[in-house]
Amino acid sequence: MVKKILIVDDSPISIKIMKSCIPKDQGYELFDAANGQIGVEMFKQINPDVTFMDLTMPVMNGFEALQEIMKLDERAIVIIATADVQIRAIARAHDLGAFSVIKKPPSKEKIAAAIAEVEETLAERG
Amino acid sequence: MELSTQDVLITEEETDILQEIMNIAFGRAASDLAEYIDIFVILSVPYIKLLRSADLPPYIHEEIKDFDKVSLVEQNFWGKFKGSAFLVFPADSGKKILSLFDGSEEHFESDPVYEMEKETFREVGNILIGACVGKIAELLGDVITYSPPRVVVERSHGSVISETLFDKDSLAIVLRTVFDFNEQNISGYLFIVTNEESFGWLKTALHNFLEQYEC
Repeated sequence: MVKKILIVDDSPISIKIMKSCIPKDQGYELFDAANGQIGVEMFKQINPDVTFMDLTMPVMNGFEALQEIMKLDERAIVIIATADVQIRAIARAHDLGAFSVIKKPPSKEKIAAAIAEVEETLAERG
Repeated sequence: MELSTQDVLITEEETDILQEIMNIAFGRAASDLAEYIDIFVILSVPYIKLLRSADLPPYIHEEIKDFDKVSLVEQNFWGKFKGSAFLVFPADSGKKILSLFDGSEEHFESDPVYEMEKETFREVGNILIGACVGKIAELLGDVITYSPPRVVVERSHGSVISETLFDKDSLAIVLRTVFDFNEQNISGYLFIVTNEESFGWLKTALHNFLEQYEC
């Protein structure tokens, strides 16, 4: 069951939008990080059930952070939330182990569907 | 001269919203170009700056000073969001970009390369500027009309942006992004400049954009 959600994005507005799209009635604990490097550190500390990751960020981009997180936990669930919707960018994210990709701007429906998919996967894993 | 936010009417939050909108818009533009020619565009974090219009040409010249000569596509747009877009490449990128379109590795001396390069820049400009400005307008609830693009090939970087293009007494917001065409070793800049006439509408539109997410 999803309890902790980490949002990694350099844009405070994007984090605000993501948080507003996450259902409020499920009691999720929300955490955020301003770039990939901080995101990886926070991932180690809080061990989130799902991470929403931007791709274009300073210091450490989303591809690099995704790679680091998958090294730490190959079963980590990382959903890429990005404006970079090039087919090759999406394919690369999947190759690196992304669970799914959401195009920005997100919507409540897209985020709810993505979390429901994560819940199903977690239920299957037991 | 850079202005403080107090002078100018655009808050930090509005700047953040605009930056995110530019990020989404250029991402979409890169995707459109990548579908048209087989290329992967590496994006960077966009940058927003508020300037006096008189300082715009020196600002842009300073940004692109590493390019000895440049090729530029300039396109004006108007709606409620009104301004000019400048897509700038180093001059030596023309043949590389051309090869992405026609697939050939080299061109013969007899080829009318100059005209072909010009058309190639025009096409890339149409796609990147059109998709990016169009997406910004769409996200902010506006509809845009464009002028035909003006293409300048292989000019000294100090002379590509006209000093007379902007009303020197007004203010301007510059949205800048830098990008790389991976595998081709080509970098470029996109500047989108909107002037004081659009500020009032823009501020309202930015807040409306964010409000749709507020509960």
